[in-house]
This record gives sequence, structure tokens and C-alpha cells, in this order.
Amino acid sequence: MRRYIIYPFLFLYKNSKFISLLLQHSSNFLSTSTMVADLEHATSTSYSLLPDSDHHHPPSISQRRRPITLLSSIFLSMLLFSSLIALILNHNSQPHTVGDEIGDGAPAKEVFKPISRGASQGVSEKSNYFQLSSADVDEIYPWTNAMLSWQRTGFHFQPPKNWMNGPLYHMGWYHFFYQYNPDAAVWGNITWGHAISKDLINWHHLPFAMVPDQWYDINGVWSGSATLLLDGRIVMLYTGDTDQEVQVQNLAYPANLSDPLLLDWVKYPGNPVLVPPPGIGSKDFRDPTTAWLNPNGKWRVAIGVKVNKTGITLVYETTDFTSYELLDNVMHAVPGTGMWECVDFFPVSTTESNGLDTSVNGLGVKHVLKSSLDDNKHDYYALGTYDPISNKWTPDNPELDVGIGLRLDYGKYYASKSFYDQSSRRRLLWGWTGETDSEAADILKGWASVQTIPREVVFDKKTGTNILQWPVKEVEKLRSKNTKYQKVSLKPGSLVPLDVGLATQLDILATFDIDKKAVEAALEADVGYNCTTSGGSSSRGAFGPFGLVVVADDSLTEQTPVYFYIAKGVDGVANTYFCADQSRSSTAADVTKLIYGSTVPVLHGEKLSMRVLVDHSIVESFAQGGRTVITSRVYPTMAIYSAAKVFLFNNATGISVTASVNVWNMNSAELDFFPLDQHAST
Amino acid sequence: MTLPLGKANLNLKGYQFNMKFFSLLLIFLFLGLFEAPLMVMGDRKLIESTCKATPSYNLCLSTLLSNPKSLSGDVSDLGLIMVGATRIKATQAVQHIKSLYRSHPELRRPLNECAQMYLAVVKADVPSAIQALDGGQPKFAEDGMADTAVEAQACERSFSDGGHKSPVTEMNKGVENIANVARAIIRMLL
Repeated sequence: MRRYIIYPFLFLYKNSKFISLLLQHSSNFLSTSTMVADLEHATSTSYSLLPDSDHHHPPSISQRRRPITLLSSIFLSMLLFSSLIALILNHNSQPHTVGDEIGDGAPAKEVFKPISRGASQGVSEKSNYFQLSSADVDEIYPWTNAMLSWQRTGFHFQPPKNWMNGPLYHMGWYHFFYQYNPDAAVWGNITWGHAISKDLINWHHLPFAMVPDQWYDINGVWSGSATLLLDGRIVMLYTGDTDQEVQVQNLAYPANLSDPLLLDWVKYPGNPVLVPPPGIGSKDFRDPTTAWLNPNGKWRVAIGVKVNKTGITLVYETTDFTSYELLDNVMHAVPGTGMWECVDFFPVSTTESNGLDTSVNGLGVKHVLKSSLDDNKHDYYALGTYDPISNKWTPDNPELDVGIGLRLDYGKYYASKSFYDQSSRRRLLWGWTGETDSEAADILKGWASVQTIPREVVFDKKTGTNILQWPVKEVEKLRSKNTKYQKVSLKPGSLVPLDVGLATQLDILATFDIDKKAVEAALEADVGYNCTTSGGSSSRGAFGPFGLVVVADDSLTEQTPVYFYIAKGVDGVANTYFCADQSRSSTAADVTKLIYGSTVPVLHGEKLSMRVLVDHSIVESFAQGGRTVITSRVYPTMAIYSAAKVFLFNNATGISVTASVNVWNMNSAELDFFPLDQHAST
Repeated sequence: MTLPLGKANLNLKGYQFNMKFFSLLLIFLFLGLFEAPLMVMGDRKLIESTCKATPSYNLCLSTLLSNPKSLSGDVSDLGLIMVGATRIKATQAVQHIKSLYRSHPELRRPLNECAQMYLAVVKADVPSAIQALDGGQPKFAEDGMADTAVEAQACERSFSDGGHKSPVTEMNKGVENIANVARAIIRMLL
């Protein structure tokens, strides 16, 4: 009789554990295979439940100990033992408490002790957490206050901490919403900062537009985009990181559309409006684009995702921006490129020189698809055509597809996005440039990151394969003193100082004439040249390098050359490279000293030309009217203030170069706080 | 009497009962026995393969295995454990520097610099990396760990720059190594 009680218990126990494991494994297996299939064939998205802990705990069933055969008891105890181990190991997957992970009981999110941001004057006080001694404070750090406060730019937009998203133009003001960390000079606690400008150059800071205060964005109010609806309404779609650390898309709109300052924003009560679809990880779904109108009258929004290592652009369709349908066809995907962040999708005219509204399509229009690659922190783009019927974007040149071809900028530049400025009919591009110095230095100086000067984007009609980026014309209003150098002859090995006065804020336009015949006559030169690996400006070749040296001291101990280098491949084709060399930009050892650059198309009959904007620790360089652009960060210790100089140079061995340079000193822009007490908000 | 086992009807005849039971018992037992160690091996395999892709396999392995949560974690969890270990090492560095400050007054300048650098790690780099890993923005976590290695190297250099011999070479190397391991793990999430 006892057996009949024990054996069922035993059976049930072993059975249920096994069955529960079976179920567990099979449900995982089933859901995985469903997910992968769903991605390609998704027809609609339901608001699937946010991911929950899906691990089953094997039920523990109490057992009564009864005398049974010896063998059975051995088996039983071994089984019990192994099941216990299984139980312990299976316990998993709460949204983990970070304190456990760290194991030292510290709170997960520390509030970083805030230090004064020193506004436009740069560092206004030394941060000195570690009061070892009050004496010798001035000589403690290798980075002196003078060096650090010099780094702050004069005419670039920068709040204390800076990532960017959602730019738009409304009622006479350009609005810039940027990712901001109120607590530290590192990424974190992301909030929407807000600034406005009449001219894209002089900015007024406004209060935060959005803060992480809802469960669906409590862990970060991340990037988003604004869409201007036909009736004039503005909708903002943005990524929120939820309290469960899931990336979702939320809707927000201005509280008062007739407020030109757009001070207050309302978050749609039904947020989130989009959650990660089946097959997409909860942390691979972010940065919705500006919407465009489809011929069927519905709006479309694109979002970058990834599946394994394939970067993909998904497209959703909506009429009211609160409910969405995931389109069957993905817009585009490129294997091996990883997660696509900050996807940007916009038309350019192949015939006109003005920008186009995001919804434009048709003849004389190409579409740019751009993505920031998580993998290598670079912004890539490609030109192609968009078919609204199939929702497919096809690159003009698949070998230069998104993520494997052209970059918007070959330097320190990321998370850029464009918008259509309807007032001036321009497509404008904003980019974020982070620091390339150490975090300790950022903490000392009290800020990190700048915004590049907004760039106007047009299709390069001459090459047909590029876009052109050029600093907005408004930056020219900062030009003050002008110094011209005409036809300076630079023989091999030349170095010519340019007497321009204070050389820390400059706008330089330079053209270079070379003896093309000499290049044509050569069979090959510097085969396999590469800006990054070929040794920088001190590496001399037959036909390069030559160009400008900026942010350099008299002795050129510190220098930042920006130059052209012509190399000829074994096929006899000459390629022009455009490089910016930070390898000797500073004697400090804890800053990045890479050499950035790429080839730049130079058409027959064109002179080599470059434009360089120098603004303290940021240098933006444009070749051939903006075909190739490089943004650099430099942190000299000597070439600062009046010690900074600018030179022309020619380190080529085989050709002379004739240079003409136009240099403007640049006034500083005004960055202040908008006088809100004088502003009537209604 | 039938048991709720679907088709496996069992009667009360002793011998038949025993044989069926016993063989079924054996099957389930073997499965039970094997599946527990398999579970252990499976997660350990993840740890081993993750560590193989880092610059310091042994350091990675010992650090992860010393934290019981590592056996049930995914790569992101392993990254978090490693970031936590980096933080511990950096915090210890700050303490060590403090103690040296009293005993080596001639080294106050570089020690001050080092303190600043390690405080940047503890106060900024690590919290940022944790928040970034939690939220699914691994590249910012990578930035944090990359900077940690930079700070450790800069600390070491601050002695030689002043013509001194560094009393904390091993300490700095320790931080640099563990930060590089953390960075390598984080890169797998990109």
C-alpha cells in the first residue's frame, strides 16, 4: 500500500520536473523560431506584452520519506540532489538589481556630484574632490586651468553635456533639442535640453523640454524626430528607456503650438506608441525618424534595429501617430553592419540646389539613407532611390551601401540628423562631436561635447555619387578681420607662417594649384595610401602631403595639419586623399591622436580646395566644397591663446604647390539664457 | 488505480509494476542526473567562450566565476559583473593612493593627479557604463571602460613625467587589465 503512495509521488515529482523543463526548453525554442519568422513576414504589430521573466521555476513538491528499496533510495537522493542544483541554476532573469551584480551594495544610479559648468567662460572653478592639500592647488594637475578653459569653443553650440535630436524650425526660431546629462560629464540620465536660435549661430538656452518622469522613459528620454503635419501641428516621436530597460517609442507634442518658444511639451497619455516587434531585442529598437507622407495618404516612420549583426531599417505606417502598422518589407538591411542608430532618411534634388521636404519623391529626386553605426561610432550614408509602393530603398552603388561605403564625416562625429528648414528651403544637418580627451579632464573642465556648425546638405551634381556638406551661410556673419595670401609658392619642404593675429577662431578657405602633368607622368606613387595608417603629415611622398597646419605653436611641437595627399595606384589612377592629422596635436599623452581622412573625388579641371573652421578644441575641415568632411578634436598644451599659429606647408618631395588662402578671424557666438521673465508664453 | 500519466496505465500487479516503474525511474533518473551538470556546463561554457575573446582569459574567468551570478547571466550580465569588478579595483586604488600620500610626501603631485583620475573612473566612468549596459547602449559603456584604461595609464605616466619611479605600477596595471577585459565583453554586445 505504501508503494502506491510513494511511487506516484516519485513519478509526479520526476515527471513534472522533466515535463516542466521540456516545456521550458520547447517554449523558448518555439518562441525563437516564431520571432525570426515574424520579422520578415510581420503584417501588423500588436502591443505585445513587455518582456517578462519567462523562466519557469521547476515546482518543488514536498516528499514524504518512506522506507523503500536501497537502490531506489540512492537514485532518489541523487535525483533530488541534481534537481536542487537545477533549481538553483534555473533561477534567473529578474530585471537584475545592479547592486547584486556589483556585489558591493552600492546604489545602481549614483548622482554624480555636480560641479559648476562655468558657462561661456569655460572652467570657472577647479573641481577638487580630493582635498589632499590646500597648498599647491594651482600646480597639481598637468591640465592647467588655462589649458582647459581654452578648449571651450567660441562659436560652436555647446551646453554642458551634449547629444542631439529632434531639430525643427517653428515661428521664426530654430529649435534644437539635445541629449543632456544634468548630473555628469559622461553619458547618462538623459534629458532633453532645449535651445533656440534665429540664425543657427547665436543660441539661447531654454528650460528642459522633457525629463525622464514616466515609466516609459524613466531610464532615459533618448533620441527622436519631429514631424510637421500638414495642418501645422508638430508631433515628436522619441525613444524612451522604460523602467524595465526596454526601448520603446513615445509620442509628444507642444503644449501650446502658438508659443514660438515651444517651452512646454505634453507626453501622450497612451505612451508608448511602439514597442519592440517580435524578433527584435528590447534593446535594439530606437531613434525614430521624421515621418514622410506616402502616396496613399499615410505617414511612414523609420526605425533602426538589428538582427544578429545585420543592421535594418524598419518602417511603420500611421495616420494619427498613436497607432502603427509595421510594414512587411523592411526598407533596407546590410549584413555585418550591426545596430543602426539614428537612422536618417531624406530626399535630395538632383537638379535644384534647394533642399526638399521629407515627403518629396519623384523625378529628379534621390533619397539619402543614413545610419550611425553602434559598432564603430561612425555616421555612414548612401544615395539611392526609394520606391514608396514596395517601401524599398535601393542604393545606387551596392558596394558603397549604408555602413560599408561613404561616411558623412571621417572624424569624431556621430548621431547626426537632418531636417528640412521650410523657411529657407534648406536641408540642414546637425552632428554631435564628443571629446577625445580623458574623462578626468572633462570633469575638470566641467563639460563635454559640442555641436558642429550646422551644415547645408545638397546633392553633388558634378560627381553624382556624393552629397555636399557646407557650413551654413550664417556662420559667415562672425567673420571679422580678413587676411589674404595670393599665389604663395610652396616648393617641396616649405613651411610658411600666416600672419593672421589670434589664430584660435578662424575661417580659412584655401586652394592649391599643382602641376598636374607631373602627377600624370608618374607611373605609381604611394600605392596603398591610407590617411589613418600612412604616417601622417610627416610622411613625405612624391605628391603629398601639402595643406594647412592649424593650432600649432611656433616650434611646431604641437600641430594639427589638414592636408591633401595624391597617391597613384598600380592601375595608374591618381587618388586624392584628404586627411586631418592629430598625431602631434598635443604633447599630452591622454588624448586621442589619430589621423582621420579619406579619398575625395577631384574632377578634371578642379583645383584642390579646402575650408577649415578652427574654434579652439574643434576643427572642421571640408574638401572640394564639402565632398569629404573631417571633424577633429585637439587639446594642445602649448598652442593655445596667442601662442596658436597657422601655417601653409608642402611636404611633398616631387611637386611644388601654389596656394591661395583667405583667412577670416571669427568672432564668438552668443550663447546665453533666454530672458524668460520678459517672454509672454500665451 | 491509474496515475495521471497519459497512456502509462499501471496495474497493481507487483512484478509488472516494479519493472515498468524501475525502467521509467532509470530513464528519468539518468536524464535528471545529466541535465543538472549540463546546465552548469552550459553557462560555464558561455563564460569560457566570453573570456576567450578578452585580452586576459584567466583574469576574466577568475573574476566572473567568483561572482555566483555569472553562471546564470547573459553576456550583458557578465559585462556588468566585470564593470563592477573594475569599480572595486578603482575604489581600492583611491584608498591605496590615499595611504601613499601620507607616507610619500615627495610624490604628492603625481598622487594627486592619480587620485583625480581614479575618482573620474569611480564617479563617472563606472556609473555611466552601468547605466548604458542596463539600457542597451553598449557603446557608451565601452567608452567608460576605455577611459578607465586611459586613466590608469595616465596615472602611471604622471610619475615618470615628474622623474619619479611609480609606486603603483601593479595597481595601475591591474585596473587597466580588468577595464580592458570589461571593454572586450561589452564589445560583444554591439
